[in-house]
Amino acid sequence: MTTTSRKRWVDYLILGLLIFLCFCLLFESHISPPALISWLGHWHPVVLHFPIVLVIIAVVLLLSGKKVSYVLLSISCLAALITAISGFFLGLGSDEKGDLLFWHQLLGAAVAIGMSIWYWLANNGYAKSTVTKGLGLVLLLMIGFTGHYGGMITHGQNFLALPGGTKTDIIPDNPLIYEHIVGRILDAKCVKCHNPNKTKGEFLMTSFEALLKGGESGANIIPGGPDESEFISRLELPIEDEDHMPPEGETPLDAGEIEIMKRWIALGASDTLRLNHLESKDPLAILIKEMMVPDPLEKWAQLPGVQDSTLTRLASDYLTITRIAASSNALRIAMYKPPKYDITTLTRLKVISENIVELDLSGLPIGKDEMHMIAGCKNLEWLEINNTPITDNDLDTLKVLSNLKLLKVFETDIADNSLDILKNIKSLEQLYIWETSVTEPGILQLKKDRPDLEIFSGINSELKTFFAENDTLAIKEKTK
Amino acid sequence: MDKDKLKQENPLKVNRRHFFSQLSVGIGSLALGSLLIPDLFKQSSQEMASRPLGIPHFAPKAKRIIYLFQAGAPSQLETFDYKPTLEKRMGEDLPDSIRNGQRLTGMTSGQESFPLMPSAAKFKQYGNSGAWVSDFFPHIAKIADDICIIRSMHTEAINHDPAITFFQTGSQQSGRPSMGSWMSYGLGSENKNLPSFVVLTSRGKGNSQGLYSKLWSSGFLDSKHQGVLLRAGKNPVLYLNDPEGISRSDKRHLLDQVSSLNKLHHVETGDDEIESRIAQYEMAYRMQMSVPDVMDISKESAATIQLYGEDCQVPGTYAANCLQARRLAENGVRFIQLYHQGWDQHGNLPNEMAGQAKDVDKASAALVLDLKQRGMLEDTLVIWGGEFGRSNYCQGKFDPANYGRDHHPRAFSIWMAGGGIKPGITYGETDEFGYNIINNPVHINDFHATLMHSMGLNHEQLTYKYQGRRFRLTDVAGNVVKDLLA
Repeated sequence: MTTTSRKRWVDYLILGLLIFLCFCLLFESHISPPALISWLGHWHPVVLHFPIVLVIIAVVLLLSGKKVSYVLLSISCLAALITAISGFFLGLGSDEKGDLLFWHQLLGAAVAIGMSIWYWLANNGYAKSTVTKGLGLVLLLMIGFTGHYGGMITHGQNFLALPGGTKTDIIPDNPLIYEHIVGRILDAKCVKCHNPNKTKGEFLMTSFEALLKGGESGANIIPGGPDESEFISRLELPIEDEDHMPPEGETPLDAGEIEIMKRWIALGASDTLRLNHLESKDPLAILIKEMMVPDPLEKWAQLPGVQDSTLTRLASDYLTITRIAASSNALRIAMYKPPKYDITTLTRLKVISENIVELDLSGLPIGKDEMHMIAGCKNLEWLEINNTPITDNDLDTLKVLSNLKLLKVFETDIADNSLDILKNIKSLEQLYIWETSVTEPGILQLKKDRPDLEIFSGINSELKTFFAENDTLAIKEKTK
Repeated sequence: MDKDKLKQENPLKVNRRHFFSQLSVGIGSLALGSLLIPDLFKQSSQEMASRPLGIPHFAPKAKRIIYLFQAGAPSQLETFDYKPTLEKRMGEDLPDSIRNGQRLTGMTSGQESFPLMPSAAKFKQYGNSGAWVSDFFPHIAKIADDICIIRSMHTEAINHDPAITFFQTGSQQSGRPSMGSWMSYGLGSENKNLPSFVVLTSRGKGNSQGLYSKLWSSGFLDSKHQGVLLRAGKNPVLYLNDPEGISRSDKRHLLDQVSSLNKLHHVETGDDEIESRIAQYEMAYRMQMSVPDVMDISKESAATIQLYGEDCQVPGTYAANCLQARRLAENGVRFIQLYHQGWDQHGNLPNEMAGQAKDVDKASAALVLDLKQRGMLEDTLVIWGGEFGRSNYCQGKFDPANYGRDHHPRAFSIWMAGGGIKPGITYGETDEFGYNIINNPVHINDFHATLMHSMGLNHEQLTYKYQGRRFRLTDVAGNVVKDLLA
């Protein structure tokens, strides 16, 4: 019968491929693949999806007690073998195997061998035996891990990591240029394709020695010669160029990062160079110091979390609550004079008082209760309470604000008594105080007591006179 | 009803069946795509970093911008770019090595010679920074240490309309959103009772070029980001006031009814535009109260009036607009765009420019001083400048007392103050003829990128997808000029 003869051919084919796979595995180091074979390896990413799906379907059918058809089983088995072999060809392209690749290959081969065993079992009357079911379960597990490792090889180890979990390690005070700066840039922009598992151009960038050794075109970092280093020239090619690194679609190095690389190579590409070995005027030192400037948002990183829904609930048409920046829990609040002023709009902000870092209540009829609310905002850095009826007593409640940096109290009813309170807010850097009952000698005294405090007490009189005397077009001329 | 017709009429009403019938094709092609292009579904780093709208990307230095646009292009050679060489070589022809193939406008391309013309204004150095300022601007000279003068701006456009459109929208051709609209789109509104983008115009006696509402259009962005032109006089916003005989409670009642109908429609169609329309009606209702309040300058102190100049009490003058700009800034308007027309001096430059300068000098400086004493220079960015520069050679008859200057895109000067920009510096340099930039050029795209940076926005990340591609204010160019940042 034709069916039996076709079946026999399939048996032979599977046996043949199985033997070939085992041969490949055993004599890997002696094989140098011809170009055509490498090209066949490139089909691995295409064919690999078939065995994953087919094997899973077959195992599910098997475990749920249904009949696994001969056609399904034979095709799955063939697909697993072809994928394993093509994967093996692909793997021959990289000279140094990483852990990921090693396990991926081993498991992939195991899946193919396992499928062949199942094929044999099914054709010899053990289609539904416990051994077969156990084998199915093992295959399911193995194919899961094989696929996972394969995914990590193509997409990078952290591809499946949960978002937000990435930690940015802080650059130490006196960083090693290679380890903390250059390495950091390489990790972010290059290592994805130049690691032991995926070594594009045979250029490994995960260690200092490998970096200097270079890739298939030899050393491409010439210590002391950034202009001769291919490493640099390929970073600087136009983005459309085939040879530009990183390739189109990946994040390129920015100008500062390229400059850092260049200067580091110019200074000898050493792994022991530290920031303090450089002169402070050295362009590399300047660039690195720029990199080390902490993000202004970092100081607010410890603030308690606050939900967007809370902010929407507390805000109104006249009360705007905004995050200082997208990822921050620090808040800026501004209130504009509503037709009917209601104190509870402000007092109910207590639930987010720790998050408020900027508060603008200028022009509102605020008094004692509002000031108590303000005093509860212990992280407050910026406060505008100008054009309000506040007095010395009200201002006294602010003395507990130990983070306050900027305060606007112009056009209020405060008097000299407030100056003592202001003097003792040590964190205060800028003070706007004019059109109040505060006296000029009082201001002068404050200036003397707190030379570090920038006091804006109105436009200076000399300028005022200059502006008053040199008026623009006369009003009559204009209205004519 | 015919399925396709239903979908056409209301695209939001795609139902479960449409979904499934199209899903099979879609998933199939996605799967094929992922096989052929392994990186197809990998997020690009740019997308991963994309942020929600209405919040700065990072901590901003400036919360709002006041842009004092000098429409018509004031000459850099009579404002901030002092070129003694022009005096020494007065009347000599502009060397070809300097002109270097620069295209000319039709107004001077037929001219036989290009005699160099020195500045009619005298220059002196001011402030601790020693900034050069011409004597046309005695008040701006007084604030030299508060401003950052950029003498190396450059553009590609050589005529007013494309040049001003470029400055306002990032493209020489009209149709893109104005930068005020981009800021409104990216940062949202600070005060829900006022538009986030407001425009004020005034006009001097000098030769003027037109202003068109396309300059403050929201382009393809939601129309709520469009600039609102506040007119001088009784009715700052047209059609905002209720007709005679309609009380505020009548109006409230009307709005409630309209809004309930609109909500019904929204439930039916699921179109979010309806919700934004409801919100706009409500805002207009609140603006009926807030706009007259902001526009009323009767409570400004005598000292303030003196500072800005007497004519700040005359609605429609540049001085009045400057004072208004401060009041709008205090009330949380994100982007306040002023235009002062009349800077197009093709002839009679010494006289006309003296007049134009008189219009704007004092009020511009007063605005900076006023913002400074209120602590608002900390978080408000003021910009002063035109759309391009003017030629260093004379247009028309050579007469040092009555000359003209043609358009010049290769180098011109503007200044900025506050909002995270370094005060008291002069940035960039032109050659001795004031014709080419020899140091630190700043292109309009760079200028936009820098403004957005001060406002806490990454110019590469604030995008809007339209007609199949993502647009930015800086489109495909622009670098933040870090040297300008404090």
